[in-house]
Amino acid sequence: MGTVSEVLARRGRRPVGPLYAVVRWGGALVFLAVVVALVVSLVWQSAPAFRHSGFGFIFSGTWNPDAGQFGAGVFIVDTLLTTGLALLIAIPVGIGTAAALTEFLPRRIAGPLATGIDLLAAVPSIVVGLWGLLVLVPIFERHVEPFLQKIPFLKSLFSGGDLGSGILLASVVLAVMCLPTMVALTRIAFQGVSVADREAALALGGTHWQVVRRAVIPGARSGIEAAVTLAMGRALGEAIAVALVIGGGVSLPHSLLGTGTTLGSAVVNFFSEAIGLQRSAVIGLVVVLLAFTTVANVVGQLFRQRANRTPTLSATDEELPEAERAVA
Amino acid sequence: MTIDAAPPRMDPSELLSPESIARRRAVVRQTSSLSLRRRRIVGNATRLACYVALVIALVPLVALIAYTIGRGAKGLSVAFFTQLPVPQGVPGGGVENAIVGTLIIVGIGALMAIPIGLAVALFLVERRGRLAAVIRFVADVMSGIPSIAIGVFAYALFVVPTGHYAGIIGSFALAVLMVPIVVRADEVAMRAVPDDLWDAALALGARPSRVARSVVLRSALPGLVTGNLLAIARAIGETAPLLFTIFGSQVLEGDPFHTMQAMPYLIYTDGTQADPHLQTIAWATALVLLVFILLLSIGARLFASFMTRNAR
Repeated sequence: MGTVSEVLARRGRRPVGPLYAVVRWGGALVFLAVVVALVVSLVWQSAPAFRHSGFGFIFSGTWNPDAGQFGAGVFIVDTLLTTGLALLIAIPVGIGTAAALTEFLPRRIAGPLATGIDLLAAVPSIVVGLWGLLVLVPIFERHVEPFLQKIPFLKSLFSGGDLGSGILLASVVLAVMCLPTMVALTRIAFQGVSVADREAALALGGTHWQVVRRAVIPGARSGIEAAVTLAMGRALGEAIAVALVIGGGVSLPHSLLGTGTTLGSAVVNFFSEAIGLQRSAVIGLVVVLLAFTTVANVVGQLFRQRANRTPTLSATDEELPEAERAVA
Repeated sequence: MTIDAAPPRMDPSELLSPESIARRRAVVRQTSSLSLRRRRIVGNATRLACYVALVIALVPLVALIAYTIGRGAKGLSVAFFTQLPVPQGVPGGGVENAIVGTLIIVGIGALMAIPIGLAVALFLVERRGRLAAVIRFVADVMSGIPSIAIGVFAYALFVVPTGHYAGIIGSFALAVLMVPIVVRADEVAMRAVPDDLWDAALALGARPSRVARSVVLRSALPGLVTGNLLAIARAIGETAPLLFTIFGSQVLEGDPFHTMQAMPYLIYTDGTQADPHLQTIAWATALVLLVFILLLSIGARLFASFMTRNAR
């Protein structure tokens, strides 16, 4: 910590009470033990399925438990597809919203709007899923899908499918879920860009937009990257909301309106009924999902550390806890 | 606008002739005004695009809340809070068991997560070095772990060996979900305590445990309370960790070692039924859940601002 504690530590006379040491070390060790237990138990329980299917578990697209075929390929494709589409919606909308809130709208209007969007980040995914299932599915079925199928040139993307539920709707629901977090993190990154950078851009004769384009967005790049990767982690790992709206098909979707199954929704749909090797295979899906989200989160945290290190981005002491809270 | 590098093969006097000056002036005016106009158009178009993005972001979010209020309010009544579910097809009934179950499950989960999270945060604040860096990184990565994975983990760890579903297993799963959030929030709150305070207390001869208790925890209290309330708000709406652990129940259950009902679980099971009555119950439960979360979030913010105002 500070100087006194450092001196004491150097002289080897740091008086740590035994109970206190137990508390601190105990907490840290319990935490690490739980994390290790999580990884080990999931890997261990899924091992029979991996041994049974080998690399086919990841690369084969056939999921047929009755025939003993466990290939997660389709689920992986659907997971990446829905996450990619969700980000395709959430990134531009999120950056635009953050820009509108921090750069364009007067503070009087932007402040309450930003707080409102921050609060919406706390809406549980089951409520978003319920809304998707009971409200969006009928709307998609009756209005959105017939409309999309009339668009020339893009028709083939939206062929078939008149169910409402499917890949596209799942992507939209995921985008809605990611947006508040995306907006909150991007907004904080934008606010962290120094006034001097903006004034420099303005002084060179830049328009409002050029200030955003040339000064704010580059300055906030690490923050935006962190926001995108963390939103990606959330979209990859969401299970229940997706399970409610994606339709549950287990073959490759024929178009964006086709039904599908992501890694997460597969666990929701298959876990309860699965026994023996099949249960092991479903836990294997969790392991694959864990690998995906961990990569996304590690990359996201690295971006975030870089964003916090960049001097122009360092938030003031008062802002930092607020920023951290918004992430949580 | 490129500058022609070749020397002008013109008579200097012609360059300075009024027509020539006027011609050049016109070009300059035209290009600059064109560029200015273009910049204005691009600037306004993109600004408009940002406003459109704002609307696109707000419409579904507002619609989501509006639908939950609109459809949920229909199902609310006193009986909704004080009665148990009735068999399908029978009108009436409530979700008292789910509300009580959520409070018990989340309460026990918080009792598990908050002390551990606080201890880990203390560890991170006081120690520097590789282990602290590793723990911090693990906590950060853990905070993004899919909640369905935590649910399956809790199932594998407890339901399989004991052969029983129980509310407390759901509490454990929620605690695993909360600890990283609590660690992060607590560490940020305690880092905000100035080093001088630590040093002053240590210089007075206080033991580190005493410093932690009387100085750090006390001055970091507003941040700690806020962060922990937000962690609870996050956990209370989670369905996936409960999906394979609490099993659900139709009766009022106060014993966490038995199967229990919880609000998110009930939204999931009732919302997926075709029966409109059950769907209404799901909406109403979603509304109650949202109000709980809103109260926790707003309460956390109000508490933080209240405490910091009082401290000054």
